[in-house]
Amino acid sequence: MTAIRDYECAVKHSEEVLPGVMKVVFDCPEMSSVALPGQFVQIEPSPDTFPVTRRPITINCLTDSGFELLFDVIGRGTELMARMKQGDRVRVLGPLGNGWVVDPGSKWLLIGGGLGAAGFQFLMDSVESSRVLIGASTSDRVISLPASHVVTEDGSEGGQGLVTALISDELLGGADSIAVCGPVAMMEAVWNSIPEKYRDRVQISTESRMGCGWGVCDGCSIPMSGGGYKKCCKEGPVFSGIEIDWEAWKEAGL
Amino acid sequence: MTFSFPPAIKRRFWGQVFESPVMLASGTAGFGHELLDLNCLSGVGAVVSKAVTFKPRAGNPPPRLFETSFGLLNSIGLANPGVHHVLQHILPIAADLPCPLLINVAGESVSEFADVVRILESSSVHLGYEINVSCPNVAEGGAAFGVDPDVVFRVAQGVSNATDRPFSVKLTPNGGDIVQSAEAAVQGGASAITVCNTFLGMHIDWRTGRSVIKRRVAGYTSPALLPLVVAKVWQVSNAISVPVISSGGVSCGEDVLQLLAAGADMVQVGTRLMRRPFAAAELMDEMKKLTGE
Repeated sequence: MTAIRDYECAVKHSEEVLPGVMKVVFDCPEMSSVALPGQFVQIEPSPDTFPVTRRPITINCLTDSGFELLFDVIGRGTELMARMKQGDRVRVLGPLGNGWVVDPGSKWLLIGGGLGAAGFQFLMDSVESSRVLIGASTSDRVISLPASHVVTEDGSEGGQGLVTALISDELLGGADSIAVCGPVAMMEAVWNSIPEKYRDRVQISTESRMGCGWGVCDGCSIPMSGGGYKKCCKEGPVFSGIEIDWEAWKEAGL
Repeated sequence: MTFSFPPAIKRRFWGQVFESPVMLASGTAGFGHELLDLNCLSGVGAVVSKAVTFKPRAGNPPPRLFETSFGLLNSIGLANPGVHHVLQHILPIAADLPCPLLINVAGESVSEFADVVRILESSSVHLGYEINVSCPNVAEGGAAFGVDPDVVFRVAQGVSNATDRPFSVKLTPNGGDIVQSAEAAVQGGASAITVCNTFLGMHIDWRTGRSVIKRRVAGYTSPALLPLVVAKVWQVSNAISVPVISSGGVSCGEDVLQLLAAGADMVQVGTRLMRRPFAAAELMDEMKKLTGE
């Protein structure tokens, strides 16, 4: 029996942490006791008739009595969510998806692109040791994480360049597991820069336009290298990099 | 049948009593067993499964969904593991459902519908079938079948010969005359008509001129379609003698009552489930408050 429930949560705190990037903290002790790093929730942006679906957002980290989300304001749904203020009651379905596969005592290398690093805090809180590489277009897109190595395309924070330039044989070889999350083009560049011998330890956190969020509508398919599709919401969002059909996924233009 | 107003929430349909008129529409509730995990079957009168075809279908390339300002476009493409897998691995689990199951069946040829039904006949899990001659998201079979009354008649007749269980024929609102197709389905032996499948829709990125969906056109659903569905339910239910199952446009209990008043015997809810997995129970609560039943 799954722990998925439709909670009515109170917003505890809401703030714009970077331009167009919101942090919203929800009160939900039950969620914080069952959620795993890499899982997500489906947020109802408004009690009105529209939008007709929820918005899937990765849990950035747990708090004392709930959980925190970090998200980009990019459309009508997230614009409505950006207006949520302390005390508002919001429908939250979760926790959803599989999450990262965490072996006890494993050492992690986390590679994030922009807002893709939202969710890394939860993983860092859950593993014994982790190193973090962040790439972003500009400093306005860098999520602050402890002891992370940052590069930006315009050089406004950290070194100038792409996150792939930070990846070294030493870092890859020193990690038991490698977590990658960011835009598809960034993740593909990272995947291509990782030598064959390290690829079986790479986990990719995917995203997709989503209907239900719990495996019944088949709307969020991710193309698989062995043919066919898997559901981002239920069989994912985390897949082994080897499982993904990168060409077909890029073609989807998500 | 005779109608009373306001309509009764408790229904008699296909010889059975249903405490709830709410059916979960095909494609929005898996094969039903997934709902057991979430424990969201309260208030559900019946579940209609995802479409089952003879061979497995991977479905359409992503993106398969796009939410517009006032509704949802979908292009799933009848993704399903094929009838043999459904029979052997899914129906045994679906046996635990606390409500009746209708299996939605699709085909690429007139004979495929009856072939799939014949294979499913060895299971005792399901109450009946919904014959899908109206999917807008596939090249073969699909909606092109449903607009030709002669093809609808032959599909219904084939299914009727393959099973003694009741079956509904799900028709398209896109093109053709839905009343003529409904009459042809009844003539072929249909025990109900589902009104209706999704409306053909499209969203174009004006920057590129390209549709956001790979197959370009998709199926559109929205609460704003309610008056269109009400009109079709009213037209079809006035023309035929078998029950009508409405599908589309529901976002609250009052919508369900209106569809029942328009002539629907049962009411499917679909897109609402994407947002509210417990929609059936919520709709029932709202209806009971409105009618005092």
